[in-house]
Amino acid sequence: MKKNKIYIILSFLAVFLAACNPSPSLDDKTMLDYGQISYALPDSLNKHLLSAYLPNPTPSQLNTPVIICAHGYTATTFEWDELRAYANTKGTFLVSQVLLGGHGRSYQEFKKSSWEDWQSSITEEYQQLSKKGYKKIYLAGSSTGAPLIVNMIKNNFFKPDSLPKGVFLVDPIIVSSNKTLTLVGLLGPILGYLTVDMAAGEKGHWYVYRPQETLKELMALIDLTRIDLEKGIYLPVGTTMKVYKSEKDETADPVSAFMIYKGMRTSSGGNIEVEMESSNLHVFTRLEGRDNITAEQRALQQKAFADMESRMTK
Amino acid sequence: MRKTLFTAFVIMSISLLKAQTATPYELAVGLRVQKTEQLYWENGVGADFTSDFLLHKKIHLKLSYASSRLGSAMIGNAVRQDNVLVGADWHFRSDKDFQLFAGLNTGFFHADMELPQFDVLPHNSMLLQLETGLFYKFKFPVATSLSVAYNVINGDGVNIPGTLFPVYYQLSVFYYINKK
Repeated sequence: MKKNKIYIILSFLAVFLAACNPSPSLDDKTMLDYGQISYALPDSLNKHLLSAYLPNPTPSQLNTPVIICAHGYTATTFEWDELRAYANTKGTFLVSQVLLGGHGRSYQEFKKSSWEDWQSSITEEYQQLSKKGYKKIYLAGSSTGAPLIVNMIKNNFFKPDSLPKGVFLVDPIIVSSNKTLTLVGLLGPILGYLTVDMAAGEKGHWYVYRPQETLKELMALIDLTRIDLEKGIYLPVGTTMKVYKSEKDETADPVSAFMIYKGMRTSSGGNIEVEMESSNLHVFTRLEGRDNITAEQRALQQKAFADMESRMTK
Repeated sequence: MRKTLFTAFVIMSISLLKAQTATPYELAVGLRVQKTEQLYWENGVGADFTSDFLLHKKIHLKLSYASSRLGSAMIGNAVRQDNVLVGADWHFRSDKDFQLFAGLNTGFFHADMELPQFDVLPHNSMLLQLETGLFYKFKFPVATSLSVAYNVINGDGVNIPGTLFPVYYQLSVFYYINKK
C-alpha cells in the first residue's frame, strides 16, 4: 500500500518536472524568434551603428552631436528607426542604433543572454565613438534601454575625458506594470515562456516569445536599478538627463519616472527633468508598426524628437 | 473605502465591548515589520483581538498600519507609502500555543507623489488581501506572527498605484495588554 503511494507521488513528480520549463514551437519563419530574420548580420549592423556606417568621420562630423539609441527588452533597432529618419531629415545630429546583445537573433540566442550581454552593445559603441573622437555624445534608452544606461552611470562607466553630454530616457522601466513578473523566480520554471500579442506591422521586429530565463534577467536588472536609485545616483559632471514618460503604460509602470526623479541627481545635486506625456503607449516615440495611429500621437512623437534635437544642438 | 474601514472599526469596537462585558478576551498590540517581494521594507504597528465570543478564539480581528516612511523611505529615496489594514483570520489549533492561520484583509493604500507634476499618477487604492501564516503564543504575555500575503488588487500601470505589489511577508510581535 505504502509502495503504491510512493509510486503515485513519484509519477506526479515526474509529470510535473517533465512539464516544467516548456519551449514554444518555432515553426513560423516570419517570426524573429525562428532565427531566419536577423538584425545581427553584418549588413544590418553596418546600417545601424554609426561606428560602422561612418567609419572615417570628418572633423565637422566629429563636432556634430551623436546619439546612441538603445531599444527595449525583446525589441530591435527598429524601435529607433523614426528618430533616425528625423535626424536624416534635419541633418543636425547623427544617430547610432545599437542592437542589444541577445536581441534580434533567435529565441535560443535570446534565451541564453544576460542583461550584461544586452548592455555590452551600448558600452562597445560608446567606446568606439569616443575612440573616433566624437565630442558630443548623447545616449537615449527606451524601456529596458533606460535601466541599462542608468546602470552604466551608476558603475562609473564614463571616463572623465569622454563624458556624455546628455541622456534621454523614453518610457523607462524601473517597475513593470505586470506585477506578476515579480514572481517569475517562482513561477518561471513552470511557465517556461510568455507569449506576446503584436500588430502585423510589428512582426519580425520583436520576439514573440519571452523565455523565463530572460524575464528573470529583466527583473534582476530593474530590481537592481530600483535599489541603486533608492541609494541615489549622481550624473557625471556636465551630463544632463531628461525623462519622457507616458502617463498610462501597460508595460513600464509610470511610477518608474517618479522613482528616477527621486533617485537621480545632477553632479551638483540638482533634480533631473521629467515630462509626463499624455499618452497610453509604451515607447510613445515609436509609432511605426502600430495599428490606428492618431494625429495626437504623431504630434507627441515629433514634439519629443524636436525637444531632443534642440537640447543636442543648442 | 472609508465606509469599509469605519464598519470594520465599529465591528471591532462592538466585539471588544461585548467581550469585556461578557467573555474572556485577548487584546494584543505590537510592532509590525513588512517586506514586499522585490520592493520596500514597510514597518509599523498592529493590534490583534480575539475572544471566546469569536467562536472560542478561532477568529482573530486585527488592525495595522505599515509605511515605507518607517522603512525603506527612512534611509533612501523610496516612495513614501502607507498601508492601513483591517482583517479577520481563522486560527487553527486555537487552544494551542503554536497556531496556523488564514484570513482576509482589506484597507487603504496611499502613495505620496510629492510633486504636482506626478499628480497624474494613481496614488490611492483599496486593499484586498489573502493572508496565511504562523502564530505563536509564548508562556509570557507575548505572541508573534509570521505570514505571507497576496494583494488581489495590485498596480497595473494605468489605474492602480505602481508601487502596490502582489506579495509581501510580515513579522509581528505582540504584547497582551490584558494578560500577565
